[in-house]
Amino acid sequence: MLNSPSRRQFLATVAVLAVAFASAVPGIGHAQSKVTIKIANSQWLDALRGKNLWAAIAKYQEVAPNVTLEQVAIPSAEFADKLTTEMGAGQGPDIAIMQEGLFFAMADAGFLVDIGAATEGVKLNKTNDNGMIDGTRYGIAWQRAAYALIYNKPVLEAAGAKVPTTVEELIASAKAASAKTPGVIGFGARHQINDLSGWYMDFQSWAYGYGVNWTDGNGKLTVNTPEAVAAVTAFKQTYASGIIPVGDSMPTQRTRFKEKHVAFSIDNSGGTLNIASGGALASKDIGGAAMPFKNPGAHQQIFLGVSKHSEVQEESIKFLTWLLTEPAQKALREASGPDALATDVPVSDDYAAANPWAPAFVKLAETSRSTLIPGYEVETMQIMRFVMQAVEKVILSDADPKTALDEAQATIDKQF
Amino acid sequence: MTGLKIRSGMTRLVPYAFILPPMIYLMVFMFWPLGRQMYMSLTNTRIINPNRGRFVGLGNYERLFEDPAFYLSLKTTLVYAVLAVIFGVALGTISALAIDRPFKGRPIVRAILLFGWAVPNVAASLIWLWMYNDRSGVFNRLTEMLGVGRFGWLTSVDLALPSILATTVWQVAPFVMLVVLAALQSVPQEVREAARIDGADGLSTFRAVTLPHIRPAIQLAALLVCVWSIRRFDIIYLLTGGGPVGTTSTLVVKIRQTAFENHELGMASAYGAIGLVLALAVAAIHYAVEQRRMKWMGR
Repeated sequence: MLNSPSRRQFLATVAVLAVAFASAVPGIGHAQSKVTIKIANSQWLDALRGKNLWAAIAKYQEVAPNVTLEQVAIPSAEFADKLTTEMGAGQGPDIAIMQEGLFFAMADAGFLVDIGAATEGVKLNKTNDNGMIDGTRYGIAWQRAAYALIYNKPVLEAAGAKVPTTVEELIASAKAASAKTPGVIGFGARHQINDLSGWYMDFQSWAYGYGVNWTDGNGKLTVNTPEAVAAVTAFKQTYASGIIPVGDSMPTQRTRFKEKHVAFSIDNSGGTLNIASGGALASKDIGGAAMPFKNPGAHQQIFLGVSKHSEVQEESIKFLTWLLTEPAQKALREASGPDALATDVPVSDDYAAANPWAPAFVKLAETSRSTLIPGYEVETMQIMRFVMQAVEKVILSDADPKTALDEAQATIDKQF
Repeated sequence: MTGLKIRSGMTRLVPYAFILPPMIYLMVFMFWPLGRQMYMSLTNTRIINPNRGRFVGLGNYERLFEDPAFYLSLKTTLVYAVLAVIFGVALGTISALAIDRPFKGRPIVRAILLFGWAVPNVAASLIWLWMYNDRSGVFNRLTEMLGVGRFGWLTSVDLALPSILATTVWQVAPFVMLVVLAALQSVPQEVREAARIDGADGLSTFRAVTLPHIRPAIQLAALLVCVWSIRRFDIIYLLTGGGPVGTTSTLVVKIRQTAFENHELGMASAYGAIGLVLALAVAAIHYAVEQRRMKWMGR
């Protein structure tokens, strides 16, 4: 009997072989099955930019008709909390588009998979350097948004104020602008602890601008260096001059800028693109310049990563492979303003002409530094809370910058 | 005889059958998570690895008791809760007394007074955030009109907590008003009239007749306001996020910061356990006061 298979056994064997064959041949079987890839990003909620960014990546569905991309839109203020909780519970999106700090925390927890396959043969630029951890690629750059000084050109021209190159000049120009055009705020900047994650990243430009490193040559955290004291003193001087709209959140300040009510701000390219889109202030009337500090400032980096919990990891990596192709990067460039992308895709001349602020960001991105503290990437926010509390103490209760930073150093020494 | 026994046995089981569903609910949604939290406070669980926490005994509590920020947050929580109770209950009771008697337009006044309770906390916080705004807020417009200049309602170290308290009282006073009003309307009219006939004036009638009658309602409202204040997060977080300089950082704000910024779920659970002990202490005080009152009334 064993040597003479029945008709049923024969048919079963044929069926198994057919299935095995179909799954081995590309284009048959799996490739035709419908797949949904969920992509989480807070930017999907941005008024105009979100729509444009989604349109850029949605083109993948034309290349891969069996794939449906699904938005997971989470407000930026809740993004880290929500994603952390979901991933911790073994759930969450297939692909997360996240700030660098969250990316490191996710990678550290083992929630991201190796996506090196997506980068094979691709000429990645330096924005992807931090996506490689201990020799494994967990992230590729989505966007890098450098910081710059932006200003309202007509307001400055009306006041005859110059574009500042020092903090003292910034204060003088901002005051001149406010005096000439009543109702205009001199300088928009984050300044409140209830916006810690945004404020500490913004403040890094001040710190780096004054030469701060946050660690010494041996990797020991040092937050009370003379450079740090100088940076805090400069911020205090700016705050005390009355040019900052105390109490306004950053979204409010950006809206005020859009409505022509702000003379200067230090913002990243993503925030500036937001200001330049769809407001009363035309993009051509926004100027961009280097920040009024001696040294280069910071950038915010956003990474793409694939979740360990995803059931469509392979398809997600294929999507990333497509995203690094020239047409996809070009499409992303159109929606990303002057943000640096994973590959070198220059800003077009037409774009630069219509958005005169953009080239300054492109230039500054060449030398900008990560907002994360090297060696303490996962703990940066925790460390910077102590620093920002010291800054807050200095600006609100007239504490001495050196004393406040010494206290922060003592607390940090205890915990790290 | 046997049938009677079975029926009697069944009758005895009926109360348990009624109690069972809420007991199951409490076990699943209250006691089990609470037990988990207590255990977690003895581990070094991180939010990004919730199932890989290692038992560390009282390590989290040791760290917590060594941290000056913990004592500051504990003090802030107590000050906030006590003042919310004092002002919330006082304002709520006064409002209830004011609208207890019929007068023209009472339904409209009652609706206006209830508005604070009806508005969701997040919406209320955002409204107050704008009213407190240094530059365009209505309060600073008023103070400027009065010639006293602008104030940093939420950004000044001295004013942030009082400002948050004002918002809280605006929210909780209507609730107290409702509870006290219900108690007031159940005061027997004949007792009030008898007191009046005996020559008691308004204040004496209130002290001798009305107050003893509404006291349990006031106590209950005070207990609830106190417990809610200990665990209140939304208003504080949205208005100040715990700042400036930690002056509004209550235990709950610290829990959020520890769990989501520092990713230390075990440590955050320890903070939560302290908050629970605080709430239980308040409930125990209420219970003791109530027992004493009952004993006194029974004499």
